[in-house]
Amino acid sequence: MRGRLRERLRRLGAVMRKETIQRLRDRRTLILILAIPLLQMLLFGYAVDLTADHLPTAISDQSLDKESRAFVDALVISGYFDATLYVEDQAAVIRAIDEGNALAGVVIPPHFAAAVERGDAQALIILDGSDSFSVQAGYSAALSIAQAHALELLASKVQRLGGRLESTPIESSTRVLYNPNLDDLIFVMPGLIAMLLQVLAVNTTAQSVVREYELGTIEQILVTPVRPIELIVGKLIPNVFLVIVDQIVVTSLGVFWFGVPFRGNVWLFAWLSLLFILSGLGLGLLISTVAKTQKETQQLTALLMMLSQLLTGFIYPRQPMPPVVKAVGNLIPLTYYIRIVRGIVTKGIGVTFLWSDVLALAVYAAVALFLAAVTFRKRLD
Amino acid sequence: MLRRIWALLHKEFIQTLRDRRTLLIQIGLPIVQLFIFGYAIRTNVEHVPTAVADQSLDPASRAYVQSMVVSGYFDVIAYLPSQEEVIRAIDEGRAQAGIVIPPGFQASVTRGEAQALLLVDGSDVFTSQTAYRSITAIAGEHSTDLMIAQLQRAGQLRGEQRILPIDTRVRILYNPNLDDLWFLIPGMVATILQTQTVSLTAASVVREREAGTMEQLLVTPIRPGELMLGKIAPNIVISMLNMLTILAVGIFWFEVPFQGDFWLFLWLSFMYLFSGLGLGLLVSTVSQNQKQTQQTAMLIMLVGLVLGGFMFPRYLQPTWVRIIGNLFPLTYFIPIARGIVTKGVGLSYIWEQVIALLVYVVLVMLLSIRAFRQNLD
Repeated sequence: MRGRLRERLRRLGAVMRKETIQRLRDRRTLILILAIPLLQMLLFGYAVDLTADHLPTAISDQSLDKESRAFVDALVISGYFDATLYVEDQAAVIRAIDEGNALAGVVIPPHFAAAVERGDAQALIILDGSDSFSVQAGYSAALSIAQAHALELLASKVQRLGGRLESTPIESSTRVLYNPNLDDLIFVMPGLIAMLLQVLAVNTTAQSVVREYELGTIEQILVTPVRPIELIVGKLIPNVFLVIVDQIVVTSLGVFWFGVPFRGNVWLFAWLSLLFILSGLGLGLLISTVAKTQKETQQLTALLMMLSQLLTGFIYPRQPMPPVVKAVGNLIPLTYYIRIVRGIVTKGIGVTFLWSDVLALAVYAAVALFLAAVTFRKRLD
Repeated sequence: MLRRIWALLHKEFIQTLRDRRTLLIQIGLPIVQLFIFGYAIRTNVEHVPTAVADQSLDPASRAYVQSMVVSGYFDVIAYLPSQEEVIRAIDEGRAQAGIVIPPGFQASVTRGEAQALLLVDGSDVFTSQTAYRSITAIAGEHSTDLMIAQLQRAGQLRGEQRILPIDTRVRILYNPNLDDLWFLIPGMVATILQTQTVSLTAASVVREREAGTMEQLLVTPIRPGELMLGKIAPNIVISMLNMLTILAVGIFWFEVPFQGDFWLFLWLSFMYLFSGLGLGLLVSTVSQNQKQTQQTAMLIMLVGLVLGGFMFPRYLQPTWVRIIGNLFPLTYFIPIARGIVTKGVGLSYIWEQVIALLVYVVLVMLLSIRAFRQNLD
């Protein structure tokens, strides 16, 4: 019995050695595997800004008096609008937006101060709707800044008329939990780490198996005493190591370079990541049993990546999605892991809060690996 | 010469059409993506699940919560006893926003010193941004209404007088309802055209080389230039077809308006295609096998997608990032596509991008032809 186990381990070791040599020989792919995640981190870290503020704004102030300047100042001070362009009239503002030189515009008609005094002043804010992303922020910002400004004017007017000035009756303070400054990095990094991990786990596994089929070398391996299950495990273990290295690099880059706070328990994170890697490997194996060529594998992994980007909550919120689409998202392990990563890294919560996702991930990993093992055997016969 | 090109075209088209599955995926994938964007993705989040801890339960506190619910941005999913419970609900992910109202709210509103706490889950960017903005705005508005009512009761404001001295209107050009799709479709057309042309071209050349059939082609009377042309032509057809399908689905199914000149758009996208084809040829000359081609093409796609302004606004990027973004043709075509499709402007507004794209196309084609020839020798 012990002799058989030793034999088994020896064969497993041989497969692993072969896999590792193969992996290390293809330097270019290896470098790409390690470099692409780094590049993505840098791209997202430096180039992606999801809080749209400082909209370049064209201003047509046709009054140029105290009140009109105060109005423009109120918009600029908020930080949402930058007065980058002063133009003649409304047509010029629209032209600047048409040309793409401004994303927002402010039009103040003549005799603004007098109109404010009479209480019937009007101002127009124009936004570029072709960039809906920046404009959504600008829209509500513009409205509330203008309202607050008008309210201030009203208050001082009431005071001048001898009325008693009440402060606004309700003071609402808004607190953003976990991410008080609404910093994009804190939001994007955990999702990105999870995403990179899945792509890597699924792709390398699927590729390494399918290549063997395509080249016909799988037949050669199978005439050796190596059993199918040993072949799978031997292929998976080097992948697990590769993915773990990547995980450590990417996470430390996020935490130490980009300063994303890690609030939860690192060991919990590590163990759950291992669970996620296993489910990713299972999914990769499943893909390899469906795909016949490397090209098909690429197409399937590309499809998976696209669905993962859109449906798992990586960037786009899952809450407004229709139930059918949500169900499709539930088929991707990333959906559960993203919630776990955000929970541990950003919210700093523990298993008691995350157990449903952890359970789902564990079931997923078990089912995927089991299915893959069964289909793998069948395909070999 | 025409006969030779024709023969090559014939071969390429047969090869392309034979691989049904690939063809199906190439045309189907973007449409799937479009439907997901059309039906499942909202960046402007409404009905955020909200937990409420109303410790007063008086008319003032109910009116306050009601003003949040009426806006449509917040759905109350639970009434909880305390602030800790609300934070716990957000920790668990059951709620993404919370309202905490301390005891004795009605009395403090009358005294003018009421306080309320609004909590927003900051771990989800779109939800937290929308929730933050709307919750703050609604709270401000509610408070203003109360104050004005108070002033009116005190006789300090006459009822018929317009209340706030400045009336600000906000007008959103081109896309008055801020429909995400109107914004996404031009960008999607641009990205799909780029990814398809780059990866298709690179793959078709590298496959030939890997299979060793490149040598066979070169011993025939076909010249390198003709070979290139023959390789590119089917990809142009597929990519244009793809673009038209996306546009058609967008316009006829999702009713995204096409504001500008369709022919101008068609000609400019045709020009844009060549930048992708050139890039694809360049990629093929630096890759030895299909795997490397795929990886390099993916890299280009990825970087282009993040830096080109498809989702993430370019004006917020630091200068050096913007310079890198200028290396991708996508960066020039996205403003062109948005300009024509969404804004409905003509050449006189987008000529700078058009010229930049033209220069880019010429440069990349020259470079790729040179590299391709050298590669063959």
